[in-house]
Amino acid sequence: MNFELTDAQRLIRDTVREFADKELAPLAAELDRLKRYPEKPLQRLAELGVLGMTVPPEYGGAGADTVSSCLALMEISRACASTGVAVSLHNTLTCEIIYRHGTEAQRRRYLPALCRGQILGAFSLTEPTSGSDAASLRTTATRRGEQYLLNGTKLFVTNGSRAGVIILFASTDLSRGDKGITAFLVEPSVPGFRIGKREEKMGLRASDTAELVLEDCQVPVENRIGEEGEGFKVALSSLVTGRAGIAAQAVGIAQACLEASVRYARERRQFGQPIAEFQAIQWKLANMATEIEAARLLTLRAAAQKDRGLPCTMEASMAKLFASEAANRAAADAVQIHGGYGYLQDFPVERYMRDARVLTIYEGTSEIHRLIIARQLLSPSPPPSPHPWGEGKGEGPQGGPEEGMGAWCVRGGGEP
Amino acid sequence: MHIIVCIKQIIDPEIPADQFKLDPNSMRQLRGGLSLVISAYDQNALEVALQLREKVGGKVTALCLGESGAMGAIKSALGMGVDDGFLVSDQPLLESDPFGVAHVLAKAIQKIGVPDLVLTGCVSGDTGDKVMGPLLAEALGLPCVTFVSKVEVKDGKALVRRIVEDGYELVEAAFPLAVSIISDDSNVPRYSKLRDIMAAAKKQVPTWKAADLGLEGARVGVGAARLQVQDVSIPQRESKCEILDGETPEERAEGLALRLRELKVI
Repeated sequence: MNFELTDAQRLIRDTVREFADKELAPLAAELDRLKRYPEKPLQRLAELGVLGMTVPPEYGGAGADTVSSCLALMEISRACASTGVAVSLHNTLTCEIIYRHGTEAQRRRYLPALCRGQILGAFSLTEPTSGSDAASLRTTATRRGEQYLLNGTKLFVTNGSRAGVIILFASTDLSRGDKGITAFLVEPSVPGFRIGKREEKMGLRASDTAELVLEDCQVPVENRIGEEGEGFKVALSSLVTGRAGIAAQAVGIAQACLEASVRYARERRQFGQPIAEFQAIQWKLANMATEIEAARLLTLRAAAQKDRGLPCTMEASMAKLFASEAANRAAADAVQIHGGYGYLQDFPVERYMRDARVLTIYEGTSEIHRLIIARQLLSPSPPPSPHPWGEGKGEGPQGGPEEGMGAWCVRGGGEP
Repeated sequence: MHIIVCIKQIIDPEIPADQFKLDPNSMRQLRGGLSLVISAYDQNALEVALQLREKVGGKVTALCLGESGAMGAIKSALGMGVDDGFLVSDQPLLESDPFGVAHVLAKAIQKIGVPDLVLTGCVSGDTGDKVMGPLLAEALGLPCVTFVSKVEVKDGKALVRRIVEDGYELVEAAFPLAVSIISDDSNVPRYSKLRDIMAAAKKQVPTWKAADLGLEGARVGVGAARLQVQDVSIPQRESKCEILDGETPEERAEGLALRLRELKVI
């Protein structure tokens, strides 16, 4: 077992960390306060090659692996979680889906522009009445000659009002449930597409979250991803990288909480000594650091599994579940350590706590991830474990797509 | 134009001061697990070299004498965009004094082929020595210009901007030459691009030992050292806070000025 990063992974982490420390962290509080989209930082990240970093060089990316992608997201989110989520959606969902499932023409049309940051990507699955039960979506796509007409409303779309291309899911046959869902590449300039409400949020306030309204929205047939009815499989396959990305975002926020807390605990004096001398504070810091390390390892292992071409649905769920909850505990403790100052916007932990809150909700709620993990464990015929240390049957099972669950919690499968 | 940039890997000066540890026997800093970086002025030197290559074409080579982990410094330089790198790594060589280090680097440069331009940082980021550029120039028999922020080529000659107190000198010199680099706004090190990092990771970097460079013990290593460090210590910093009284802001400002003068700060 080797926990060392490769040269490339270490250099990517160090480069993104330096950029995040120097150029992102100083802006984060202001971007949050003004709810200003991190347009310039995203452009700079595109110049560095972070946008679309896992896309192969022939399509304009850097050809980096999933581990590097997670390391980069940790560093970006440690400085500015709003920028982190914008990059995460762009990289781990939009670019990933177009590369894995797009036609050659779709790859050539969108990937170079996405990697250069000329356009941003978005991913749109959720609707007003379909969240965790994603397969119950009501947006329809009806074929008319060489076009599809899309009708419906999509919700909570990260980068939604900023994107140049949106991967959008609609049903081409409502009677077939999840087997009727189809994925489309939608450009916001097409007739019938309108950006609705821009959401006001508790945290990640510099990120863009929009409603998309589709009224006979015309999407050319060549913008369909895969065949009709394959959309749900596309969505689920990419959610593995998406979840690892959100787990990485959580690790980044939690790390920022820890660093701020250590700094404050050393400086703040009460009863004649720095509060870091008190065991009550030390235990909080120790718990935080231990949980962050565990979250980091779970996240990087899920990413490494993905890079080795092994199934990682359960690993990604475990990473997302644990990291997002650990980040919330870290943020709550960070505010507690800061006392009254932690409640003020003068200190960054107030923002960290607001930013962390959504982590257990988006990209599958904690409850859904517990379901995914439990169903894998209880699967009647789990395949052999990919874990080098889990040789017994039933340890670390990975299954194929589960029939008829019609929710985010489809186990295994979907891996391209 | 071929440029060789000599780089040194040091402990990241940004780490908290309480993490610095000294080995009382070797009188050197203990590295154990600390973050390592390319010495700051060496990074400026890499930037100067890359800018020059962008203008006049050619090739930039990074050269480092260090522990095996110094491969990380070469890889960082490759990530910034240099064309190739060489590492000299042999434990006895690492105990050389600056004369010995210059001799090792000169031998390595001769093995690579003496380039048009040899760049070093003007100050070593850990020991604070300012000698490597001149010593290397001496060992290679090259002219040397120190504390330079920018190098340009004009009519086949080097036009270098040498920073002096209250201004700069423009110095013309014939190639080949050695130049030590100081930082200014024109040579802020660039970020590596992820694509270059991926290419750097795949690149093979030759590693040489003393025997590969035909080095003799009489010139290098601890036995040949002409300088010996007698003692090192980490300065103990004490901070004291004094509150000055005064009724009005003017009174307080006057009190502060007087106190600062008393302490010979102003």
